[in-house]
Amino acid sequence: MKILTGLLLTGTALATPVFADVAADSRLNTVLDRGTLMCSGHNGSFLGFAEVDDKGNWKGVDIDLCRALAAGLFGTSEGHLEIVPVSWAQRWPALQSGDIDVVIKVSGWTQSRDTELNLSFSRPYFIGAFQAMSPASLGAESIADLDGGSMCAAAGTSTERALATYLESNGIQAEVLTFENGDELRNAYFEGRCDGYVEWAPSLAAARVDAPDGAEAHTILPDVIDLEAEGIIVPETDPDWLDVQNWMISSLWFAEANGITSENVDEIKANPTSSAIEKFLGVTPGYGERLGLSDDWAYNMIKEVGNFAEIYDRNIGAGSPYNLPRGVNALYSDGGVFFPMIID
Amino acid sequence: MQELVPHTTAIRPSPFSSLRARYFSTPLNGAVTLVCATVALWLLWSAFDWAVLHAVFGTGQREACLAAEGACWSVVSSRWRIVLFGLYPFEEQWRSGLACLVMGAVIALSCAPWFWNARRLPLLWVTGFATFYLLMRGGFFGLPVVTEQNWGGLSLTLFIFAAVCILGMPLAICFALLRRSKLPWIARTMALVIDTIRSLPLLSIMFTFAIVLPFVLPGWLTGDKLYRVIVGYALFFACYQAEIIRGGIQALPAGQEEAAMALGLGYWHRVGYIVLPQAFKNALPPTINQVVITFKETSLVTIIGFFDVMASGRAASGTAEWNFAVIEIYVFVALIFFVFVFSLSRYGAYLERRLDVGRR
Repeated sequence: MKILTGLLLTGTALATPVFADVAADSRLNTVLDRGTLMCSGHNGSFLGFAEVDDKGNWKGVDIDLCRALAAGLFGTSEGHLEIVPVSWAQRWPALQSGDIDVVIKVSGWTQSRDTELNLSFSRPYFIGAFQAMSPASLGAESIADLDGGSMCAAAGTSTERALATYLESNGIQAEVLTFENGDELRNAYFEGRCDGYVEWAPSLAAARVDAPDGAEAHTILPDVIDLEAEGIIVPETDPDWLDVQNWMISSLWFAEANGITSENVDEIKANPTSSAIEKFLGVTPGYGERLGLSDDWAYNMIKEVGNFAEIYDRNIGAGSPYNLPRGVNALYSDGGVFFPMIID
Repeated sequence: MQELVPHTTAIRPSPFSSLRARYFSTPLNGAVTLVCATVALWLLWSAFDWAVLHAVFGTGQREACLAAEGACWSVVSSRWRIVLFGLYPFEEQWRSGLACLVMGAVIALSCAPWFWNARRLPLLWVTGFATFYLLMRGGFFGLPVVTEQNWGGLSLTLFIFAAVCILGMPLAICFALLRRSKLPWIARTMALVIDTIRSLPLLSIMFTFAIVLPFVLPGWLTGDKLYRVIVGYALFFACYQAEIIRGGIQALPAGQEEAAMALGLGYWHRVGYIVLPQAFKNALPPTINQVVITFKETSLVTIIGFFDVMASGRAASGTAEWNFAVIEIYVFVALIFFVFVFSLSRYGAYLERRLDVGRR
């Protein structure tokens, strides 16, 4: 035991110089040396997660996470962040070849991606449910009520597979119509070609808002067909870079849990209420240094993009046209599944 | 007594009788004409009704659009900058617009016969292309640098198209000449290369150049993704165009080249003054065809994450406010393509008339 403690102490002593514990070939060092973070964007848009505003600026949950990461690394994302448009098919090769440093692109954590593609996933930052929407006039209250009807889904996606499994295992007989293109799928549903429209919940919410016959004419059924956990993705051989991603997400939740927002972060930094918050905001050293970052990285991040609730509300929640409830994506204290890790 | 001269004009059919003779000669023909005319009129009327009568114009009329039955042109007037300029920084978009105009002017000028000259044409294109590149990229006279990552919209489409043509055309001539080489191993190798590239889909070539090459090439050779894709696309273009030129060369009577040889002209003179000008004349219709296809297929670059005019069209409608107005944006993008492709093919028709391809 003594030997072990001794070893640990020597280890700590060796690790004391800043950045010393980050592997030399880590993407973290590459990014810090380059002075810009290259984050994944879209070739087009993905509603609520990556959109382009009237002036050609990116916005959305994924984009805000990119900004948070850049702000944490460099103090501000201004001038230090490049959103590189990549297509779905291109995101993994682009990450491996170094065209982008990190994939934040609503990408689900699947076994084949995790193992065969040599990718590392951070803790999920969003849980996407596959749900069904149905015309209110049908009076359906669950997917089981659509037995004998027809369902529309996107062809060749995980949604289609999950729907087939769900129908089979619940003994529901429904005809599944598939469509290649998301717009085509949505129009088919609104033209009345199917009784149920199966999609990722945020997309359903977006479609419902714009329903030609009004949002009230459509109900999103509560049954969850399947869940997809969206994480931040880095190459598998880079634990230091993965640590930064995990602690970034945890910091956003920590700030939310402790009521630290972009508005009051300065006040709280001036009068921290606990030693954990003191450490978190960089008043006392350690929180950044262990990751190879500056100690006030979390402060810079919160100052620029706010905590997780602010990011959510601004882009897909109550403060946005989508008005998607937090649901399972809330903190554990509000009935969700997310919680910050311990800051010691 | 004066002899009666037959009145010739009476034989000429009146517009009405020609209409009757052409479209209503039998009851069946009359019925077919009526049905087709009704359908055509109805289609035109519905399109007009949708696009004009019930349409919503003006910026930011989202609410009015949702209530209206017709087209929502408001999405175009609110988001046209994204379609044209993509992610180019808002304050600098005049540069992108100016660069597009320069490129358009270069294309228009090179259509004028005065520029068809081995010295003027390359000079025009090199100057035009350099101006375009410098304007887009910036970094001088206090213009901020805008990297290729942020280029987008119409200017990116034009850039890719122009670069592919500039690189591809000389390459195509080289390929065609190499393929006709008298040394069998050169001719066969070239034939193999051309046929291999032609038997691969353009998409897979672009994907290989954009994504696979960085793993294979040493770092200093990799270059920006955009240029890798342009090189790949130019190679693809050159292989098709080489076969078109070869077709044009083979259509020449053998006597042309033999006569040139008999006059003592060297290889380059023969090729430059006798063979190629006539070959290009022969190959003009398929060449215009190839150029048009090249312009349209630039939209494939969306797959590898470029923000060309199609992708930026999707980004323009892909936002909470305008997600319902997809069709209008597609119509707008289609119009842009139509303007370019239609002018290209009309220009091709003019060239054919001018060079009298049909008669020779």
